[in-house]
Amino acid sequence: MAGDIILGYDGSDGSNAALRVAVAVAKAFDAPLTVVFGYEPNPMGGETADYKNQLEKIGADHLAAAVKTAKALDPSVSVEPLVAALRPVESLLEASLERDARVIVVGGSGERPIVGAILGSVPHKLLHRSTVPVLVVPAPED
Amino acid sequence: MGGKGLKSGALGLVSSLVIGVASTAPAYSLAATLGFVTFYVGVQSPAVMLLAFVPMLFIAAAYYYLNRADPDCGTTFTWVTRAIGPRTGWLAGWGILVTDLVVMPNLASVAGVYTFSLFGAHGIAANSSGFWVTFVGVIWIIVMTAICYIGIELSARTQVALLGAELVILVVFAVVALSKVYGGHIAHSIHPTAVWLNPFKIPSIGALSAGMLLAVFIYWGWDTAVTVNEEAKDSRRTPGRAALLSTLVLLAIYLIVSVAAQSFHGAGFLTNNSSDVLGALAKAVLGSPWDKLLIICVLTSASSSTQTTILPAARSSLSMAVHKAFPKRFGDIHPKYLSPGFSTLVFGAVAAVWYMALTLISPNDVLANSILALGFGIAFYYGLTGFACVFYYRRHIFRSFKNFIFVGLAPLLGALILTVLFVVAIFYYSDPANSNTGNQAWLPFIHFNFTFLHQHFYVKKGLGPPLVLGVGLLLIGVPLMLIFKARNAAFFKRDREVAVSVDAPAPPLTPGVIPVTD
Repeated sequence: MAGDIILGYDGSDGSNAALRVAVAVAKAFDAPLTVVFGYEPNPMGGETADYKNQLEKIGADHLAAAVKTAKALDPSVSVEPLVAALRPVESLLEASLERDARVIVVGGSGERPIVGAILGSVPHKLLHRSTVPVLVVPAPED
Repeated sequence: MGGKGLKSGALGLVSSLVIGVASTAPAYSLAATLGFVTFYVGVQSPAVMLLAFVPMLFIAAAYYYLNRADPDCGTTFTWVTRAIGPRTGWLAGWGILVTDLVVMPNLASVAGVYTFSLFGAHGIAANSSGFWVTFVGVIWIIVMTAICYIGIELSARTQVALLGAELVILVVFAVVALSKVYGGHIAHSIHPTAVWLNPFKIPSIGALSAGMLLAVFIYWGWDTAVTVNEEAKDSRRTPGRAALLSTLVLLAIYLIVSVAAQSFHGAGFLTNNSSDVLGALAKAVLGSPWDKLLIICVLTSASSSTQTTILPAARSSLSMAVHKAFPKRFGDIHPKYLSPGFSTLVFGAVAAVWYMALTLISPNDVLANSILALGFGIAFYYGLTGFACVFYYRRHIFRSFKNFIFVGLAPLLGALILTVLFVVAIFYYSDPANSNTGNQAWLPFIHFNFTFLHQHFYVKKGLGPPLVLGVGLLLIGVPLMLIFKARNAAFFKRDREVAVSVDAPAPPLTPGVIPVTD
C-alpha cells in the first residue's frame, strides 16, 4: 500500500466537500483513498473507556457514510475507512506516514474563524507539520 | 469496519505524573485548605497532611487494581456496581457527581478572590462571598465549562511547563519563608519543630477527623494518574510508578509549604486569613512584584483543577447514561466537538446555580462551607472504592502475599479509615460551633446530646452547614436512586460479580444486559 490519498473526515460540510475532491484526486492518480476519523479524549479527564467507545461508534458511522458516498461518486476508487484514537491532526499525520501518502485532503472551514483561532484549526496545523502536500478544500457557500 | 490501526501513543511516566499532580492542583489545594486545617489542629497541620496521605495511598491501590479489571470512565460507579451491586453502585456514582459539584463553588470563589488579589484589589478579594468575587466566579465556571465543551486542550508541553512552574514557585515560596524565619525579625514567627508532625498533639478526635477530612481533599485527584493508563505501552509498571512518584511529590510539597507557611507568622495568621492564605503570605514573604507569581500559580492551578473536575463529572454521568442508570441524554456526544456535550453543559449550569445559591444562603462562608462539606463526599466514594476492591477480589486475597497487601489489606484499611473519619466528622460537625463558620446553624429544629469516644456532642439548635451540605446532598441520592430504579428496572437487576483473576480484564459490562455470574 503506497501513495494513498488521505482524507480527514468528520461529517461536517467542509469534510463532505473535501470528500468529493478526494475521490476525484484518487481517481486521477489511480490511488487508494483512506478516510480517517481521529479522536482523542483529553487525558486530563481521567478514565476514558466508555467515552472512547461512544466516540468510536460515532467515527465508524461517519466513515460508513463517507465510504458509501465515495462509492456512489465513483465505484472504481478503492476506499478504506480508518478510525484513529489520536487527535485529528496527529491521526492524519500518522496515517500519511504509515501509508506513504501522496496528499492529505481536508475541509477548509470546518470551524468558525474565532473557534479556529482559539483551537488552532486542523488545516492550519497540517500545513505547518505535514511532510506531504496538503490540499485544503473550501466548504461550499450557503 | 476495517482498519482500526492507529492508537494513541503510550502515556509515558512524565505525562502520567503530570496528569496526576496537575489534577490534584497543589497550589489551589493549599490555598483552599491551609487556613481551615490550622483552625482545627493549629500547628499540627503538617501531621494531618502526613496522616491523610495514608488512606489515600491505600485507596490508590484499589483504584489501580479495579481499573486493571475494568477501565471504565464510570470508575467507582462501575466498579461498585460490579462488586457490591447496582444500588450501591448508583449511589457511588451519585457520590462522585455530588463531590464534583460541591467543590465547584470553592474553585470559583478561590478563582474570584485570587483574580482580585492579582490586581491588588484586596478589599474586594477579602469578601469571598461578596458580589464581585461571585460575579468573577460565575464567569470562571462558564468559561471553564465552555473550554471543556469545545474541547480546548493545552499541549502536553505547556502542561509540563505550567505544573513545573507551580511546583518551583511553591518551593521557592517555602524556602524564602523559612530563610526569613531563621534570619529573624519576622513578627510572630516560630521555628519549625518535629512536634508538628506528631498527630497525638491534636486536641480532640473530632478536630483530628475534621482536619483529616480537609487534608484528604488536598490529595484528591491524583488517582487520575492511575486510571489514565490502560493503553500505556508498559501498562504494568507505568501507572504504579506514576502514582507513587506523584504522591511523593505531593507529600513533599504539602509538608514543606505547610511548615513554612505556619512558621512565618504563626498558625493563627493562617486561620485569620483562611480565604486568601497564600495571597496574604505572598506579599510578606516574596515581596512585590514577586508575590504575583504565587497568585498566578494559584489561578493556573485552580483552572486545571476546575477542568479535572468538569471532565470527569461529565464522563461519570455519560458512563451512567450509557449503562442506562441515568437519563439517556447525558450520554449524548456533541457531533462537532466530540465532548459529552449535554453532560458537560448540565454540570456547568448546575454548578453555577449551586454556587450562586450557596452564596445567598451562606453569605459569609462559601469557602468554608464548601471545603468542609467536600470531605464527606470524597470519604464516601473513595471508601466505597476500597470496599469494592476487597469484595471484588475476595477469592484472590489469600493466594499470594502481594495480593493480600494490594487488593486486600491496603484497600480495606483505607476504606475503614475513611469510614471512621466520615462518622466521627458527622458527630463533630453536628455542632455548628465546630464548623469555622461562626455559630451559624442550619435546620434549627434539630437538637440532641451525645457522648462518643469521650467526646461530648451537643446540638442546641440546628446542624452545622458543612454537615447539612456534605451529607445532605449524598442523602438526596437515595430517593433519586429509587426513582431511577422504578423507571429502569434492567440496570438494577444486575447480579454481583467476582473477579476471575487479579490480572485478567473483567468481561464487559454491556449496557442493559444482565451478565451471567456464578
